[in-house]
Amino acid sequence: MTEPSGLIPPLPPPSATPLGEPLIAIRDLTVHFKTGKDRVVKAVDGVTLDIRKGETLGLVGESGCGKSTLGRAILRLTEPTAGQVIYRGQDLAHLSARQMREQRRHLQVIFQDPYASLNPRMTVGQIIGEPLATFKLARGREAEQRVQELMETVGLSKRFVKRYPHEFSGGQRQRIGIARALAVDPDFIVADEPISALDVSIQAQIMNLLERLKREKNLTYLFISHDLRAVRHVSDRVAVMYLGKLVEVTGARTIYDEPLMPYTKALISAVPVPDPEIEAQRRRIVLQGDVPSPLNPPSGCRFHTRCPYAIQICREVEPALVEIKPGHSAACLRISPDSPDIDRVPSGEAPGLV
Amino acid sequence: METGNGTLLKVRDLRTYFETEDGTVKAVDGVSFELQRGETLGIVGESGSGKSVTNLSIIRLVPDPPGRIVGGEIVFAGRDLLRLTEDEVRKIRGRRISMIFQDPMTSLNPFMKISKQLMEMTRLHLGHNKAEAHDHAVKMLETVGISDARARAEDYPHEFSGGMRQRVMIAMALSCKPELLIADEPTTALDVTIQAQILELIKKLKQETGTSVILITHDLGVVAGMTDHVVVMYAGKVFERAPTRELFALPGNPYTKGLLKSVPDPSAEQGRLYQIPGLPPDVAHLKPGCPFASRCDRVAEICRREFPPFVRLNANHHSLCHFAAEVYQESRAESSDAS
Repeated sequence: MTEPSGLIPPLPPPSATPLGEPLIAIRDLTVHFKTGKDRVVKAVDGVTLDIRKGETLGLVGESGCGKSTLGRAILRLTEPTAGQVIYRGQDLAHLSARQMREQRRHLQVIFQDPYASLNPRMTVGQIIGEPLATFKLARGREAEQRVQELMETVGLSKRFVKRYPHEFSGGQRQRIGIARALAVDPDFIVADEPISALDVSIQAQIMNLLERLKREKNLTYLFISHDLRAVRHVSDRVAVMYLGKLVEVTGARTIYDEPLMPYTKALISAVPVPDPEIEAQRRRIVLQGDVPSPLNPPSGCRFHTRCPYAIQICREVEPALVEIKPGHSAACLRISPDSPDIDRVPSGEAPGLV
Repeated sequence: METGNGTLLKVRDLRTYFETEDGTVKAVDGVSFELQRGETLGIVGESGSGKSVTNLSIIRLVPDPPGRIVGGEIVFAGRDLLRLTEDEVRKIRGRRISMIFQDPMTSLNPFMKISKQLMEMTRLHLGHNKAEAHDHAVKMLETVGISDARARAEDYPHEFSGGMRQRVMIAMALSCKPELLIADEPTTALDVTIQAQILELIKKLKQETGTSVILITHDLGVVAGMTDHVVVMYAGKVFERAPTRELFALPGNPYTKGLLKSVPDPSAEQGRLYQIPGLPPDVAHLKPGCPFASRCDRVAEICRREFPPFVRLNANHHSLCHFAAEVYQESRAESSDAS
């Protein structure tokens, strides 16, 4: 972090052609964790991405790929090591703690575990009302009124205002977390695995609630999840992450119907479909091996150890995220705008080969 | 349901209750199903539906107190497990019926080498000596796809990734060639690509060994791809029971129907997802009538008053609903419209 705060160098062009105005422009964002002498986990390693105003951008990947760290780094809940996060003409990554606190009013987060993210000693009313006091948005009678409105908005009965988090189910707790995030009237919400801990019937309720709120309040979401079905359903665009890097970015429809990257293809083919007829017929790309440790990521393309198409160059050269088709970027050395179809590429000689 | 020679397990009217400060929780209340040899049965349900307690009951591992199996039969290979002594059960558990759980880290002993944990099984149940047990352990690790198994067998659980630990659990569960494998959410803690590996592995081993499987899961996609029959549980009751294809194509219960509709379909348009309103009931304080009534989109007056009958829709398909026949007919009409 060398640039003084407030001074923003010109933006490099984003990887995909923006259709809407970017609300948040992430440039070469890097988060490294030191885990001992000379040991560094590159949790997020040079991510460039635009989050457009009014969109839901889905961020998918397997555990340890850095998706949550990226979400947290945007909001400075985790300090970025390098790079920029441009929001309203300011670089969030380089604001002072005090300046950042002011911005938090507009930038909120919903966590996966509604059990761990609510203070068990505070009533629902206090939890939802706290941000109103913190940002001096309302007090007294007005604050109470506002809390009640928020509870109604997220589908919680006003009667529960004096109850404690443990008296609620997981889905209701997630509603409390959403109400708290909405209290400050934010522009942008990072939803970090907001439905993963919930039952199937409750997942649908929370997804619908998030969508309704987005429409009503003109919100922009970064929706982080390992659940491709959910991401495909709620997102306008989807970014796929693997070991700290973005490997594919495109529209939510396209990612499912015409994925380019071998990793994305494997990820989609691994998702079970709730239809026995389809399940009986479908051919699965079963990736061999585990996700490598981010402590010691593979050289070249990080996916080469599991990729059925990997050849020698994939072990040596790190692919950049480039636009292969309009609005569709991928990081893969074996495809290009001239030959975007990986299935037409001869398979490689990597261990991932089945 | 016929009891042929092929029936491995027959659970009849199982009732497992828990005494809590809040009153008696009827976690499992009158559950019946059968499992044929070589088949996979899926048990689906949300948290609190009783699916895990059903299976803890089968292997007689319900914590007592507060839990108690208060009624029913669990006939495994012709013997009622509920009438066996603890010693007799111990000879069956791990040998003829084995299980794998959601979180392999908590089921493995962190202070014991992988090889040793596997060896314990066959030394106890198959009377292997040390050398035999060790060879068998390595062979099982190879079977479940652990590369360099002989060396890795001397590692401790923390040196394995989540997916590999689950492979170890499967190796352990299958090391005595059980007739029944109970897998309770075996892939819920794993990433999708690893889940795909583990599910393929279970399928392959099942084909090779002929083991019957009970697969407990909340994921309808996993059920669709893995099972022959499905039991849908809600509030401690079996709400629907059918062959897998039939259940997905022609659901005969509003709860099943709602569940199927509330999973996002990647091939469908985005937009509002069907949602089952409300919350699962508090099993300690069930109201009279159907436990699903307050969330059901076709609730009628009778549903709030009378407990629904378990309606036979055809020889293999049953549904717990006052309107089971109508729901089933509607599913038929919808499926012929679609095709």
